[in-house]
Amino acid sequence: MSSSTFAPAVPNRPRTLVIGSALASSAVLMFFGGLFALYFSRRADAMAWGMEWFPEGAIRLPPGGMNMATMALSAITMMWAVYSVINDDRIHSYLAMLLTAVMGVAMLNQTAFYFNDIALPIDHSEATTFLFVIVGAHMAMVLVGVLWLGLLLLRALGGQDTSRNRDLVSAAALYWYAAVAVYMVIWLGIYIAK
Amino acid sequence: MTETETAADTTRTGDVVPTALEAAVTTTDHLRIGRAWIASGVLFLVASLVAGLLVSLERMDLSGMALFGSVDTLFRLWSAYRVGIVLLAVVPIIVGLATAVVPLQVGASSVVFPRAASLGFWVWAMGAAITVTGFLIDGGLGTPGGTSRTDAVALTLLGLLMVIGGICCSTVCILTTIVAGRTGGMTLSRIPLFAWTVLVAGSIWLVTLPVLAANAVLIYVDLSGRSAVAFGVEDTIWEQLSWAFSHPQVYAFALPLVGIAGDIVPVAARRRHGSHSTLLVLTALIGLLSFGAYAQSAFDIGTPIREQAIFVVEAFLIVPVVLAVLAGLVDTWRRGSGGRPPAPLVLSMLAVLLLLDGAIVGAIRAVSPLDLLETSATGAQMTFTIGGVLVAVMAGTLWWGDRILGRVAPQGLGFVSGLSAAAGVTLIGVADTISGLLGMNDFTAGDAIGAGSPGSVVDIFNVVAVVGAALLLVGVMGWGLTGLRRLRGAEAPADPWGGHTLEWATGPVEVTSDSPLLDVIAEVGS
Repeated sequence: MSSSTFAPAVPNRPRTLVIGSALASSAVLMFFGGLFALYFSRRADAMAWGMEWFPEGAIRLPPGGMNMATMALSAITMMWAVYSVINDDRIHSYLAMLLTAVMGVAMLNQTAFYFNDIALPIDHSEATTFLFVIVGAHMAMVLVGVLWLGLLLLRALGGQDTSRNRDLVSAAALYWYAAVAVYMVIWLGIYIAK
Repeated sequence: MTETETAADTTRTGDVVPTALEAAVTTTDHLRIGRAWIASGVLFLVASLVAGLLVSLERMDLSGMALFGSVDTLFRLWSAYRVGIVLLAVVPIIVGLATAVVPLQVGASSVVFPRAASLGFWVWAMGAAITVTGFLIDGGLGTPGGTSRTDAVALTLLGLLMVIGGICCSTVCILTTIVAGRTGGMTLSRIPLFAWTVLVAGSIWLVTLPVLAANAVLIYVDLSGRSAVAFGVEDTIWEQLSWAFSHPQVYAFALPLVGIAGDIVPVAARRRHGSHSTLLVLTALIGLLSFGAYAQSAFDIGTPIREQAIFVVEAFLIVPVVLAVLAGLVDTWRRGSGGRPPAPLVLSMLAVLLLLDGAIVGAIRAVSPLDLLETSATGAQMTFTIGGVLVAVMAGTLWWGDRILGRVAPQGLGFVSGLSAAAGVTLIGVADTISGLLGMNDFTAGDAIGAGSPGSVVDIFNVVAVVGAALLLVGVMGWGLTGLRRLRGAEAPADPWGGHTLEWATGPVEVTSDSPLLDVIAEVGS
């Protein structure tokens, strides 16, 4: 054994919340990955047989595009929240988290309105079953994120989210980015490619 | 003189004694949570094995359906056995063992997110109860004849989703403990093999079980409250979910088996592994090769599974990898002190042999001209692999039980139970493999009459399988009895095996930069 020529062992500083959130987000992403893989596989099969996938005109780009823009903006405000917490800027962290949560609620509202509007029954075809399952699961994911942000806001108002204790915000941000990434695939795969 | 007695202030923390139920529900003690997982898993294991035994009995003469009366009822019990032994029994028992042992092995004070770990257990337990109820009320995961109650099938799927959610939630806690809760100086390359295999297997579970959940959600939504249009059509449900109970997914469930053996062998042999890092790489390879089962039929419509490269490559590559692991473990034992092998060592090595058998049957299944995919060889592969894990967790509970419960167990009873289970698994596996080669159906196609030919040679092997199923059940019940007797056993010594990993450390272990942790703990253990 060599003599002690190295610095003492570095104390472990685990970022357990961020790692736990990363693992949970990976599982959620794989859930959607499974759905998307099945969706594209069945869609390709239907196309190959010359069958109709979604009814003509049922899926419109503007609502999907608006939702994508909202989610993209919310990713930026989420980054702003993390940045503000790291810099102990409480006012901006309140504002950023509130804006992110509001955009999440707006996205849920737009999606619910759109799905009422198109009045496409879930059992119309295999494609509509996919549509409702994928979009519905994503709405549930966003709802969890909004609730998480609400909890963070309460903690922030209580002065608990500071640069020394920022992991809960970072963990929530990781989850939120995953939600935005999932919506990006929904936008590309369902609203654009139809 | 007047004495005034004041009533005890029960509102202060520490003065309120929780009831047993409150303590069970609110506990954050990783040992208690682990024990709850293991005990519940054993109960569901016994139920699953009873179902398996009944199916084996019926298979002795399928022409009359003397026990169940219909192919659909038989199919329901058959699928309940497969789901039960994997997701309600063996995986939960591994999760329990990991929840109890892994934090100690990596030097953490407890499992990270203990409340989430507890929540995971309760979600799983409720889901398991709902799943079993669904199977009992004519639900299950579909039948070939389409005679199930749709609402009961939906209930079974809901239970299955909760089971998956609970397992994933607890897995996140265990993996976070390994990744972020390790003590200083314990790098990933230094963690004990059991913790490592749990890390690898858990990672695979986290990226595969959600895909199973996605399948289940699609089916659930499709059949709930309306006529199914695609996924919820009853005779296709099992087909969409069966990948989770066959090659290569079962290897992901089986991986901790290697970790259990890998931790027991060096202590029993009083000799460290020749190359710890090689074993880490090999076990990671097994994990890698177990990934991608969901990419089977549902995702590649039209191409037979046996013609898919991922299926064939994984089937063949896993055999030499498991062989190399076995060789490494045998080499460690051979170079060791060579004393009388303790019961957990024998059982854990038998478990690795069963895993090897499973891998070999899996490779044979991938040989296209043999056409074994729809035969009972599929069941044999699952039986060998999952049965191997079962024998390994028996060894694991005999090994770490003193630490988990603080009481000594009768090793002789545990050993005999393990041997009985290993013999049972072998008999079922061998019989089903040969029957598969003779063309016996695995029931997945629902053609029960074609599954056994009364009076033919297959019936002899079906009798052998019944004997195996009975032996397996007896072994598991003996194991459960060992656990019960442990509850009344003498107080266990702190380090009964002279172990070299942190879970056996009887005092603080100093870790410095110039004394790698493994060396220090090896000295502590010697």
